[in-house]
Parts: sequence; structure tokens; C-alpha cells
Amino acid sequence: METARFLLRKLAADRTAALGALLILLLIVVAIAAPILSTHPQDVSEFNPPGRLQPPSVEHFFGTDRMGSDVYSRILFGARITIAIAVIAIGVSVLIGIPVGLVAGYYRNWVSDALMRISDIFLAVPQIVLAIAIAQTLGPSIENVILALSATYWPFWARLVYAETRSALNETYVEASIALGASPGRVMLFHVLPNISSSLIVRTTIGMGGTILTAATLGFLGLGPPAPSPEWGRTIAESREFLPEAWWYATAPGLAIFLVVMGFNLFGDGLRDILDPRTRRSSDG
Amino acid sequence: MRELVLTLNRLLWLVPTLLGLLAITFTISHIIPADPIAFIAGDNASAEQIAALKAKFGVDKPIPVQLWNYVIGVAQGDFGVSLYTQRPIADDLVSRLPATLELAFVSILLSAVIGIPLGVLAAIDRNSWLDHVLRVFTVSGLAIAAFWLAILFQLLFAMELGITPLQGRVDGWGPEPVTGFFLIDSAWTGDWETFRSVAHHMILPAVTLSFPAMATVMRFTRAGVLDAINSNYVDYQNAMGVPRRVVVWRYVLRNALIGTVTQLGLIFGNLIANAVVVEAVFDWPGLGLYAVNSILQSDYNAIMGFTLVMGAVFIIANLLVDISHGLIDPREAG
Amino acid sequence: MLIRHASRLCRIAAVATIALGAATTTATAGGKFVFANSSAYDTLDPHAIFDVGRVASRINLYDGLMRWFDNPPHLEPWLAEKVDISKDGLTYTFTLRDAKFHDGSPVEASDVVYSIDRILEMKKGAYSLFEGTVAPGSTKAPDAKTVVFTLSKPSAIFLATVPEIHVVNAELVKANEADGDLGTAWLSKNDAGSGSFQLKRYDPAIGWQAARFEDHFFGWDMVDNPLDEIEFRTVVEINSRVLGLMNGDFHGTDGYLPQDQVKRLRTSDHVVVQEEESMRIFYSIIHNARPPMNDINFRKALSYAFDYDGFIDNILSGSVARNPVPLPNNMWGSPMDANGYTLDLEKAKEHLAMVEGDVREITLGALAGYGQTEQAAALLQNGLNKIGVKTKIVAETWPVASGKMRDEEQMYDLLFLWKSTYYADPNNWLGEMYACEQIGARNNSWYCNEEVDKLLSEARVSTDQDLRKANYEKANRLLMEDAAGIFVYNTKWFGPFNKNAKGIRFSPIGNGQEMRWVSME
Repeated sequence: METARFLLRKLAADRTAALGALLILLLIVVAIAAPILSTHPQDVSEFNPPGRLQPPSVEHFFGTDRMGSDVYSRILFGARITIAIAVIAIGVSVLIGIPVGLVAGYYRNWVSDALMRISDIFLAVPQIVLAIAIAQTLGPSIENVILALSATYWPFWARLVYAETRSALNETYVEASIALGASPGRVMLFHVLPNISSSLIVRTTIGMGGTILTAATLGFLGLGPPAPSPEWGRTIAESREFLPEAWWYATAPGLAIFLVVMGFNLFGDGLRDILDPRTRRSSDG
Repeated sequence: MRELVLTLNRLLWLVPTLLGLLAITFTISHIIPADPIAFIAGDNASAEQIAALKAKFGVDKPIPVQLWNYVIGVAQGDFGVSLYTQRPIADDLVSRLPATLELAFVSILLSAVIGIPLGVLAAIDRNSWLDHVLRVFTVSGLAIAAFWLAILFQLLFAMELGITPLQGRVDGWGPEPVTGFFLIDSAWTGDWETFRSVAHHMILPAVTLSFPAMATVMRFTRAGVLDAINSNYVDYQNAMGVPRRVVVWRYVLRNALIGTVTQLGLIFGNLIANAVVVEAVFDWPGLGLYAVNSILQSDYNAIMGFTLVMGAVFIIANLLVDISHGLIDPREAG
Repeated sequence: MLIRHASRLCRIAAVATIALGAATTTATAGGKFVFANSSAYDTLDPHAIFDVGRVASRINLYDGLMRWFDNPPHLEPWLAEKVDISKDGLTYTFTLRDAKFHDGSPVEASDVVYSIDRILEMKKGAYSLFEGTVAPGSTKAPDAKTVVFTLSKPSAIFLATVPEIHVVNAELVKANEADGDLGTAWLSKNDAGSGSFQLKRYDPAIGWQAARFEDHFFGWDMVDNPLDEIEFRTVVEINSRVLGLMNGDFHGTDGYLPQDQVKRLRTSDHVVVQEEESMRIFYSIIHNARPPMNDINFRKALSYAFDYDGFIDNILSGSVARNPVPLPNNMWGSPMDANGYTLDLEKAKEHLAMVEGDVREITLGALAGYGQTEQAAALLQNGLNKIGVKTKIVAETWPVASGKMRDEEQMYDLLFLWKSTYYADPNNWLGEMYACEQIGARNNSWYCNEEVDKLLSEARVSTDQDLRKANYEKANRLLMEDAAGIFVYNTKWFGPFNKNAKGIRFSPIGNGQEMRWVSME
């Protein structure tokens, strides 16, 4: 309770982190209340061909798209897809990555070597490259985007947890509890994991931003959910053939991606300053 | 000595890592639901035609046999034949690599030339308006979707203002390839008109790609300079009456550079990843565009080749970064 | 900008002069034509490819015995002077004209024999047109000027497929064979043709350039100021093609641009847009063998649930023509009085109510990257939603989709796509899309109706034009009545060209890309 209050106070003091938190909050509110906030909620599945490609107006804040649907409303519903993809993909990759990292870090045998070698192979290529290959193979859908992102992101967590585990094992109190006969599971769960949790929280927050960008990229390449899904990346791809006339069609969803990723990055930065001063200088993950 | 051993060790790991990568990509591409053979046979193909093609490409053999054949081929520099273009993939990749590398180098150069001075300025004038503006810039640089930025640039500079080409690498056919780097090739032969055209086409994609890289460079330069400024050594120098400007540029900058060089691997990875979409938007005839086209054609031989080459380029780049880091910062070697 | 353009023009002129050497002194300088093509010229081998997107390399660098002209397309002897057909419809005897390949050697009957046998052995491109009709080795050259095709079975469409036998220089190709590859590696980037233009430069990532072939058999007297040089450059992005045309960098591009871009082009002083009704129908395949689509009432409900007007008039801005049957309106054999289905949700509901058995969720297939197919699927989803039929849209790449199309189990319930002209005969559409013997190959609807099939098989072998026409008209009506597919539109071609380009000849097979008739003013 005390730490939570401390955290909040710190965050409130950091204006940019507060802005980040606000943006994330906005995303969540928008995703939940999309049917209420949108002006044309039916436009996600219903179309109005005669009213296509109209510029922004009071009726359509961000204009209409190639099917005559309200771009603003579709962006709000697109937020749901974005959140679902990012949260599940990160969740799955963390759930795979943490145990792998813990086991590989705790034990020093061929299993741990093999696990780390496998994750090294994945990390040898930029994530998007493998994600593209996987998403392409499985076919375009939300589920497959999540699968492609999880399959290529877990090694990152495994590496991180592995390194942290190895350094935690050198801490005196961990050595002590092992000497006192604590089981490996107990050591990992109660000593190592809490020790690295703050660094994990920071990385997860920033990782959300990166994952949203990667997911949007897959959508842009046509590997995301198919039409008429309001996914942001695919909306931008759709809009290209109507440029430069329908500038709003391309601009609005990109702005949405930008604001959300910015939110996670700012918030993550703020969190890092508070929780994990050690890694201040290191990469942004 | 230890430096050498470490480097050799990493070089040795290159082979198993690439083999692992190969196994992963092979697995991915062989659970493929697509039937590229049916595709290349054309939409009027008969069953007999398809069977003949399957035999020709060896995809009628058991999967392990196919994997083995592929590994043997790659070891000899043979990535197989593109299912779509029927040309050797190695040829395609080799002919397209320079375009991607040229773009990447120019982008890195751009981000260093602009990012480092700005980072230093931000650190020196900490908490000034400039520092705040630059902070917003660094955060947004990493938050912006590269393909969106590319489209916005096209919309503004090519379509509305008409001051840059919309896409492509050069007007017409470009210089006679020697190195494959058009800027070098055209300058070499003194063909300044082509050089101008190449540079003109390079502006938008290079700026788009350098945006996130610039943000990273700026951020780490700033942090490095700040750390150095706050160190005892600088206090000492200041006390000794050495002008602050000299201290900053001589000592602080050198330290800050080290911080940036360590990030080069990260920057390069980011660059390569973004190159895929940026090349697609700008129709830049490099590896990224090749990959995107291969995706649309489910040309899995080509996708495998692309992934492997990208992996190799990325691993080697990181290796070079490590080595150069050791050279700049002798402390690390100990 | 001005300086840049001026100097580029000088360079182009200089290149042209060098390339043509003496030739330019005899003919008046005709200039250069740059065409921005939407698909990449991955190979120039005329026997490896058979698609409309890359037709330019085939018809400009190569000649066939016959050739299609104009719209509606008519078939004329080309490399052949004349053709004699035996009474039984099995023997076709072509007499060749005097013609030269680009290397100066004469075009002989043996080259034609080599070309057809090469197609039959490579089993690619246009192979399927001749499979089962022309046996390997059955084509003979009794003398240098005579080619005799002996068909394995009568075929009313053989002559219509002859233009796809592009004649290659047999000696040249054989000289460049490697490991018995029939010269495929070499021919993919070189030219062994006799066509109106001769390849100068090729880069798969950029495109190709060719210079006028002075010695072309057809001569150049018919054209004032024929082009000296043509260039076909790959420009994938629509906006680049449009901008390039508007500022004069390109002189032509494909005629299937989105209507919004055509509108933009029409505002330009440099561009003239030619309009023709083409032969490329847009429709949805229905899997006729799978429940509930095997129930005619369900198929009718589908046909009544599509918003044809919204799609054609709004989404495509009226740039296409409603085509209520599987055969293009402007092809003979198309019944002129067919009205077809309209959006009528009441009727759709009535038919739905008559469907026997359960109606499950229906999968609507679309082709990823082809916005129109996605939009059509979304529109149909919209309509079906309103009559209470649940649907799911799946958009996959063409290779994935074309693989699934051949498999009865994997085939989507419905799939929106186009059917283009490969040869201008009704069999190109009806005979391939709905004949029983084509099931699983080109009949991807798993549709087999005895009455329709009888009409189609009769028409495929008959040489009686009246009977063929009557059969196809009747088959069209039956297919429409049966709601075998959702037939939407026939494409119009809006060919944007530089206003100085004269003499563009459009045909649905060549798409206005046969450049030998064109001149630049």
C-alpha cells in the first residue's frame, strides 16, 4: 500500500509519465466504451456505399472510408483489436519466457544451454522478420497475428529472465536460502522472481508499445485480420489507393497508433526511472 | 588476446545459429497451407502440369529429404529457385542487397550526423526548451509507425508539394552496376545527373528510416554526455580552468559516442525491420520489397532465403559493433 | 525540374540514336514510349507465362501464327499467311509468311514445331490450352513454310488458342540450353523472337526496353512515325503510375485503375483516357456441392442478397458494366435479354425459408491485396447479415486461394474473383468454369448439371457457329437460373495514355499494349 502510494506520487510528479498513463487510460476507456463513444457504431459491419470517401465533417469526424463507413467509429472499435492482440501476445510470450528463463538461469546443464541457444536463434533476427514468415504461413487472422507475435517474442523474456536469474543467484540471501535447503521452485518463485519483477514490469510496458507497432505492421502488410475488420494497420493499407484525395483515411488510424504507442513508451520511461534505475541507460527493449 | 578469443567464439557460433535459423524458417515454411506450385502453374493448369512442377522443385519428396537438400544447397550458396520467378534466389538476393544496405547506411549516417549534435546540445542545455522539444522528438520517433510516416511524407512532399519523387530508386535504369550502390556507382563514373536523381529518390525513404534511429542516437548521446558531465573528471578539468567547451567536445563526446556505438546493433535491427515496410511503400528495390512480394506470392523458398540473409547480416553487424566497441573502449576488453 | 527533364530527354534521344544506328536514318524519328506496368516482368520467356499483366513482353517481342485484334476481338493470320482446316476439324495446315527473327535468320516451320513442343514439354504458361488436344511430336513441318497440326480430338477452340504459340528461334534457344532446361534460364532474360520490337535491356526489378525491329515481316508502312523504342517499367504503386502519367514521365499504364484515380487523370492536360468494355468478369464462385449451397434456394438467396448497384454505382463509381451471366456481355453467346438478379432481401428471405436443412456459418473468400474482392465480400456479408445468415470473411493470397480452389474439401463456400480472357471464345468462361470434366481443375464450383454439360461439350467440338452460339446462350440462361455463382460485372478498360500517343489498339487479350501501331506526335 505504502509503495503503491509512493509510486503514484512519483508518477504524478513526472509529467510525461502522467501523460503516458493518460493515453493508456484513454485507450482502455475507448476500447470498452466504443459502442457508446462512436457516432456510427453499426458501421463496423454495415456499409453505406453511396456515402463513401467523404471528408471530415460534423457528421463524420474523420470522414468516411471506401465502404462509406465512419472512420472515427471504426478507429474506436479498432482499439479493441489492438488491445486484445497486444495484451494476449505479451501475456503468452511472458508466460513462456519467464519459466524458460528461470529454468535456464537456475540450472547449469545442457537443458539450460539448449534453451538459451534456441532463444538466441530467435533473437538473431529482427522480430518482425520471423513474425512475417509465421503470420504469412498461418494465414491472415487475429489469432495468427497473436501466435506470430508470441512465438517470436518469448525468447526476449527468456533472455532477460535468464540474465537476471543468474545475477540473482549470486546474491548472498539467495545463496543462503539454497544452502538452507530451499527447493528450486521455492527459490525461483519467492526469491528470484520478486527480485526481477520491477524490471519485468518496465519491459512489459515498453514492450506493449513495440508489440502494437509490430501488430500494426503485420496488419499493414495484409497479414492481420481480413476486411472488413477495423484493425488500424490494415485501414492504412486500404487507404493508399485513395490518396491524396482521401488524406483523412490514412491519417486518422496512424495517429491512433502513434498516440497509443507513445502512451506506453512515456509511461514505461517514467516507470523505469522510478522502479529500475539500474537500467536507465540501457536499451529501450 | 581474450578479445580475439571472444570474437572467434562468436564467429564460430555464427554457423550453428544460422543452421538453427534455417531449421526454424524451414519448419515455418513447410506447414504452409498455400500451394505455390498450383499458383506458378497458372490458374489454367492441369493436374498433370502441377505434378510435373512438383517433381521439378523437389517438393514431392519427404520433408526431411527436402530439409537436407536445402541445407546442402545453402552451404554451397544455393538458396534454391524462386517458385515464382524461377530464378536462383541467391541471385535475386545478391542483386537486391546493395539497395537495402545503401539505404541503411545513408539512414544511419543521417541519424548520427543529426542525432549526435542534437543529443549533445540537449545534454548541455539540460531542461531548456530545446531539451524538452528534443525529448518529445525522441519519444515520438520510436512511437511512430514507419509505414505511416512514409505515407505521410509521400502525401506531403511527393503528392501535394511535388518536390520529391513518390517512390523508386532512380529515374530510368540507374548507373551501370559496379558496387550496386547507386550513389557510389554514379559518382565513380562522373554521372552527376544520375547521382542527383539517386540522391533525390533517397531523401524520403532515408529520412523515414532514420527517424527512429535518430531518436535512439539522440537519447543515448544525451544520457552519455550527462553522465560524463556529472563525472569527477570533468569537475576536475573545469576546476583546472580548461574551457568548458573543450571539455565537452573532447572528453564528454568521446564517452558519449561509446554509449551510442553499443546501441548500433539495436539501431541496425530496428532499421532492417522497418526497411521491410518502408521499401514496400517507396517501391525501393531492396530485400524488404523482395520479401513483401514473396509474401504475396507465398514464395516460401524466397522467404526462407530472405530470413537467412537478414539473419546473417544482422548477426555480422552485431559482431562488428562488438569488435568496434572493444576498440573504442579498452575498458571493456579487460 | 525543368532542367532535369530537358537533359533527360537529350540522353534518351542520344541512347536511341546509338542503339538504332543506321536504322534511324531511314525512318523518321518516332520517339520513345514508356509504359508503367503494375506487375513485374519476372521472366520474358513467352512459354513460361500466360497472364494478362505481363502480356506486353509476349506480343511485342514475339509473334504467333495468328493474332487477336481490336474489340470485340477478331482473329487474324499473323506469322501465317493462311490456314486450311480439314473437314473433320482435326488437321490445321498453316502456311508461313517470309519473316525474320531478330538475329536475321528466317522464321521456319521447324521453329513453330519446336515452339509448340517446347510448350508441351515445359507444361507451363499456356500449356493447359493444348493439353489433350495437341500431342507432343504430333506437329509436323513438311517444308520450311508449312506447319501441320494434327489434333487428338476435334476442338472448336483450337484456332483461338493458336496466338499463344509464340514462335521462338529454335536454333538460338537450343544453343543456349543448359542441363536440358529447354533454354528456360536463358530465355527468361533474353529474346529469341521475331516480334515488332527487339529486346535491348532487361532487369527483373525494373522492366525492359526494346527497339523497333526494322525487318519485321509486317513492315512499318502502315504506321506514320512508328516508335523507335518502347520501355515497360514495373511500377507497382497506383499513385506512382498516375503521377508519372500526369507529369509526362510515363505515356501509358494499365486500364484497370480505381475510378477515383481515373477521375484524377482526366483532370490532367497530358492524359487522354480511352474507354472500352473489356472481357473480364467479376463473380463469386459458389461451392455447389457442399450444403447448404447445394440447395438452389440457398444459392438464390445468396444472389438476391448482394448489392449489385451499391457495388457497381458507388464503390466502383459506375466504372464497370453489370454482367448478369458468367459470359461477358460483349462476347458472342451472351444472351442479350438476361436481366439477372438484383438486391432484393424479401426474395432472399423467401428462398432462405425454403432451404431444406440447417444453414450454418458461411465462409466468404476474398483475395488478399485485391481490395475489390474484400469489398464485395463485405457487402455480401452485410446483405446476408440482414436476412439472418452468419458469415465469416477469409482473405488469403492468390497462391493460397488457388491451391484451395482445386480441393473440394478446402475450397471456400464462396470466393470472389475475376475470370480474364485467355482466348476469346465462350469456352474460356463457360466451358472452363462449369463443364463437369473440369471439376477440381478449372471448374472450382463443383457444379455439374447434365443439361448444361451437354450444351457445353457439344459446343466445344462443333464447327457450326450457329449451333455453338445457341448452345452458349442457353447454357448462360440455365446457369443464371440455377444461381450457379453470383455474377456481378464485366470490366471496363480505362486506358490512360499521353495525349501525344496515337494509334493505341485495344483488344481484351493484348490490353492495348501492342505498341507497333502507336506513334508519338
